[in-house]
Amino acid sequence: MAAGASPPTRLPTIRETLARVHLRLVLLAVLLSGVMLMLSGLFTIRDYFERNLALVARTVSYAVEPAIVFGDAEAMRDGIGSVAQLHDVRLVELRDAEGRLLGRWAPPGGDAATGETLAERVLGIAPARQVIRQGDRTIGEVRVLGDTSVLLGYLLSGALISLCCLGLTILAMRLLARRMEEGVVAPLSDIASVAHQVRSQRAFDRRVSPSGIAEVDSFGRDFNALLAELEGWHDSLTAEKDKLAHDATHDPLTGLGNRALLERSLQAAVGDKVRPAQSFALLYLDADHFKQVNDRHGHQAGDTLLIGIADRLRSSIRLHDRAFRLGGDEFAVVLGPTVDHARLANVVGRIETAMAEPVDLPSGKAISPSLSIGAAIYPDDGASPQDLLRRADEQMYLNKLRKRDNPPAQGQHA
Amino acid sequence: MKRGTQFFRTLSRMALLAALAASCPLAAAPPLTEINLPLSSGPDRFALGAARTVGSILAYSRWPAAPDPVRLCVIGAASHAALLNGPLPGGITVSRRNLPAGSSDAAIMCDALYLGNLPLSEMRATIGTVRGRPVVTIAEDDPDCRSEAMFCLVFGQAALSFEMNIDAISRSAVRIDPRVLRMARGY
Repeated sequence: MAAGASPPTRLPTIRETLARVHLRLVLLAVLLSGVMLMLSGLFTIRDYFERNLALVARTVSYAVEPAIVFGDAEAMRDGIGSVAQLHDVRLVELRDAEGRLLGRWAPPGGDAATGETLAERVLGIAPARQVIRQGDRTIGEVRVLGDTSVLLGYLLSGALISLCCLGLTILAMRLLARRMEEGVVAPLSDIASVAHQVRSQRAFDRRVSPSGIAEVDSFGRDFNALLAELEGWHDSLTAEKDKLAHDATHDPLTGLGNRALLERSLQAAVGDKVRPAQSFALLYLDADHFKQVNDRHGHQAGDTLLIGIADRLRSSIRLHDRAFRLGGDEFAVVLGPTVDHARLANVVGRIETAMAEPVDLPSGKAISPSLSIGAAIYPDDGASPQDLLRRADEQMYLNKLRKRDNPPAQGQHA
Repeated sequence: MKRGTQFFRTLSRMALLAALAASCPLAAAPPLTEINLPLSSGPDRFALGAARTVGSILAYSRWPAAPDPVRLCVIGAASHAALLNGPLPGGITVSRRNLPAGSSDAAIMCDALYLGNLPLSEMRATIGTVRGRPVVTIAEDDPDCRSEAMFCLVFGQAALSFEMNIDAISRSAVRIDPRVLRMARGY
């Protein structure tokens, strides 16, 4: 993605783009066909128009021929009118053989202009002329000018019909474009939505469904393959991260949480101002005579003893209590809420009972570990993790001293 | 007068024009130049009109065998037949012959009969001899057209017109151009 390249204006959607292209196509097609139809129609009508004028002229000449021979103006007028009245005629002129005007006829209310109209000039429509003959003699001439408003009417109605066609086509186009949107845009939107979910919600398990369009399908398949790869990377990265996080907070020898994890747990347990913490207890445990075991039986024996202590600690606390190894032969246990002195004494008793079971050393000997335990109860013995740790440490130390001053009746270690 | 016979009388032009002016949209058009058989002044004023009308009628008549010139026979005392010889207005040429009343040669000698001033019975008798033959009959002095001639000239004060006897025209062997009927329509 090119940073900072996005324009400030909103980009057009596929549908808008398609609609614009369609609109242009439709406009072009309808206007083109409309204009072509109107032009060809106009020339056809012009042709008929001229033929009509010629026909009117011929008919008038036939009708008025005897009237001219008899010199009967009444019959002449009648003959012209009966023919010309019906047929888009603007003016009929009758002249005798010498070119003298015999008469002129125009429809009532019509424009009897003898000059050339604009339409006649543009379309090249000439007045129809017909020589009147009686036998072999030329006795006159008829000149017929057409009423070009017919042609204008045709143009107008043609333009109206074209506009109606345009409107209908645009309507149909909108419907088709909507259908096309469902066919094309919806699959693309699906892909976009999957991509968005993957990015924003890390939903790497989402996949694009088949669309039924070859290009989009091919794109969708590649996209799915890419997603599968991403999912694999993401899973391995997460696992790696989890392992690192676990290693950073746990003692590799015993699998118990280390000091860092204890401090974090304590910090979380004392809570904050918003959420007042419930009471809990911290036990501080120190293996007695561990140094001697190391010296006498070797470091491997020491490690075995530490593992044994960790196992016994784990088995003597409840599920939501947690045990830690702080380093060397020091351990800690956090007893989850809620805690009172009775329960504390109960847990300490269980731990001591558990420690009574000997640990088998690699050398074949067995040693019952012995622990000195100090306890601190939150919030009675301290409000901060540091206070609690110090208090429990002191208690442990006091117990250790007491144990040294009053050794048990029989030594528990060799 | 025979039953079923129709007479089409061309009425006075002025009266007809007035009637048309009231009823016909043509009245809005510029009036046609009046070329309606202007009767010139002078002693011969009807002769010119008669020549034109007779010429026009003959021009629109079709004989089984087209005669050229048209043999025109004048029977009886004709008052306005002075110009009825040679080329006539209408592009027709006639050769004139005067026949005595009661002549029986008309049917073979004439293509057209012009009947002058004769008693009605003689006119009918003469016309009877050419009935069924290709002869056009025109009566000069029979304004009511009771002589059974095909055409009867009507000399008005200002203009010359004619009536015609459709019955006689339809019986005749000469065919008259139907457009001529319009010239005589008087209803």
